[in-house]
Amino acid sequence: MADEQEQQVPVQNVEEPLDLIRLSLDERIYVKMRNERELRGRLHAYDQHLNMIMGDVEETVTTVEIDEETYEEIYKSTKRNIPMLFVRGDGVILVSPPMRTGT
Amino acid sequence: MLFYSFFKSLVGKDVVVELKNDLSICGTLHSVDQFLNIKLTDIQVTDPDTYPHMLSVKNCFIRCSVVRYVQLPADECDTQLLQRCSKKRGSSE
Amino acid sequence: MASALESYVNRTVSIVTADGRIIVGTLKGFDQTINLILDESHERVYSATQGVEQVILGLYIIRGDNVALIGEIDDEADQRLDFNDIKAEPLNSVLH
Repeated sequence: MADEQEQQVPVQNVEEPLDLIRLSLDERIYVKMRNERELRGRLHAYDQHLNMIMGDVEETVTTVEIDEETYEEIYKSTKRNIPMLFVRGDGVILVSPPMRTGT
Repeated sequence: MLFYSFFKSLVGKDVVVELKNDLSICGTLHSVDQFLNIKLTDIQVTDPDTYPHMLSVKNCFIRCSVVRYVQLPADECDTQLLQRCSKKRGSSE
Repeated sequence: MASALESYVNRTVSIVTADGRIIVGTLKGFDQTINLILDESHERVYSATQGVEQVILGLYIIRGDNVALIGEIDDEADQRLDFNDIKAEPLNSVLH
């Protein structure tokens, strides 16, 4: 894949999606997962399957309950913190590079 | 291979494996293979009141595809090394 | 590879399937896709309202795709359990 030019400046080049993830190493990222799960944490490692290791992770799980009387959808989110977490790539929907605002 | 090597370095350490059926199992990492199938010894389900299904199971083999997360011992993870390896592999592929 | 399962051969194992069922039997064989052969197997059906029901199945081949977890049962600990007294919702199925 790598042509000569790419080999000379391997770190700055962003040519494919995974390059953007490489630039997010040691930065706090946002990961949207299947089954209404979200992660925020520092990216320490990843591979081509989007398996990842993240540190100081906050996981948010959102569940929907239907109110029996009004049939309103009630969203509940539960959060928890995990110091170091391996995330299997097959559950990953999207990865967002470092956040400029918030956590 | 990065994660295979990484998990091999954690053999003998305690981890919590969270499965895609919401079961969460704590145990000692016994072995891992190239697909990241995981074998744990001396296991305990973290919520045995809700999940008494494994009370007499002491060791187990977890199929890689049902793993959602593995909670790792933070002080056993060399994050600098992980980042260096990820960077190297990212630019060489 | 899946030769990690070698140490479970001829042991009593508890298979958690992808649809949340639990099948207990003697592991007689396996292959690299985690297809399994279980002898003298039975299913343990968990229920929140009554004790565990044990359904005899006999010789079973389970396709690897449907296997979530293989647990090695400690026979002594298993015999001490009073299954009439264990009430629990069945396990969830595996959501990919």
